[in-house]
Amino acid sequence: MTMTALKTRAHPAVEGGLQLEVTNVSLQTESIISITLADPSGERLPSYVPGSHLVVQYGSGVNAYSLTESGSAPSEYTISVLRVEDGAGGSVAMHRLSVGDRVYVSRPRSAFAPVSTATHHLLVAAGIGITPVLSHARAAAERGIAASLIYVYRPGAGAHVADTRELLGPGLIECTDRGSFQKVLTEHLTTQALGTHLYVCGPAAFMDAVLDQARELGWSPARLHSEAFGAAPLDEGEPFTVNLVRSGVRLEVPAGVSLLETLEKAGRSIPNMCRKGICGECSLSVVRGAPQHRDLYLTDQEKAANTTMMCCVSRSEDPELELDL
Amino acid sequence: MRSVSMPPTACTGLEPGFRGVICASFGAAGDIAKQDTGGRPRHDLHFASATPNTLSDLRTVLGASHVGVRLVLAGPQADIRAAAAVAAECGLLEEEVTLLSDEAGPRVVYCPHCLTTTIDRAAGSEVECQGCATVLAITDHFSRRKGAYLGYSAHAEEAS
Repeated sequence: MTMTALKTRAHPAVEGGLQLEVTNVSLQTESIISITLADPSGERLPSYVPGSHLVVQYGSGVNAYSLTESGSAPSEYTISVLRVEDGAGGSVAMHRLSVGDRVYVSRPRSAFAPVSTATHHLLVAAGIGITPVLSHARAAAERGIAASLIYVYRPGAGAHVADTRELLGPGLIECTDRGSFQKVLTEHLTTQALGTHLYVCGPAAFMDAVLDQARELGWSPARLHSEAFGAAPLDEGEPFTVNLVRSGVRLEVPAGVSLLETLEKAGRSIPNMCRKGICGECSLSVVRGAPQHRDLYLTDQEKAANTTMMCCVSRSEDPELELDL
Repeated sequence: MRSVSMPPTACTGLEPGFRGVICASFGAAGDIAKQDTGGRPRHDLHFASATPNTLSDLRTVLGASHVGVRLVLAGPQADIRAAAAVAAECGLLEEEVTLLSDEAGPRVVYCPHCLTTTIDRAAGSEVECQGCATVLAITDHFSRRKGAYLGYSAHAEEAS
């Protein structure tokens, strides 16, 4: 399978990245596997910030997966992948990988970093959301920083449970039902010493609920950190026209094709990383028109200003947008 | 977790785990009483000035309070800046601290030559360092961590 994958061109999202070999595949649960990747010639891999992710190519598509180790001087990268039967096909392709296969991956990307001044990390994870949070827990243990973890999973379906027990000891609270989680969360949100920061990863609705409750209990936004791995797939959107005012070029952006892809097809190279509206790399200046903001990067205030847009996911409210390109 | 055996906060009357608004005033600052806390529980503290002792009291109070708490500091610049530096050390974020400063008032100037701070009461452009007697030119460069303006040896580059 990967033999053919490597014959295809590297996807723009993994360009300038690494070509790694699968060195181990192990079963975490019935539907989650851990995949270990290493450099085929045994070179050490780039270090990464805890909570970073890797973009992995499968066939012609790419998916982002959180790295689960602490990230300091790694000789291998480990990701854990939940098999999603009705997804875009990435996780199913990952589950077909076997030892010896080669894959294109990006360099690690950090969008969920721990705060260096925090004296305590309160980690909250649901389901496969454990992966970046496990990286945080490992890094905290290595650096001697206090961490606790509230981990919600369905009985028998929790990945890395043994790892987290060993790492956190009494600092781990496992919840297998909603009621007990709610009680534990409220108790933790109201009893944290002032140096505490909160990190949450899980399904979008879960994260929203945790973050909403934290804000209600007086947590300021700068203490709250979330990893939007489970961003719901965006709809195709309406077609629109972009006018690149500096180069005098007009391009049509059809429904189902992103502005970033349209610009790339027209030969423009736009710096970009996640292509999911998270990292902020593909930011473009808008001269005229109102973008339909669909990213998770800009603040509400920045979105309202309509002067900047993330071209990987955002589209246009107006039939035409003018860009400073 | 620090919540178990905190030193008694009886001296300040704050219950452990407080998550309301702490209003600390220094000197004769009066308008803090009008500060609106949006219906949240409020705890008032008053100090004559920011000294190692009073700052240590503030540290004790902040050590006993929990995430969710807000701090309002009122009084002369030098005092509330010193208190804000303590708040940051205790883990409060900038957006959780409100500073209500008296417009005029002495400034604290940091001497990079001997690492001491001097209070400038004259509001001039220079002050003599109380640590090493260097005449310091006072810059606009302010350190939130030290709660002080950076000074440097005045006229050092002039031919004598």
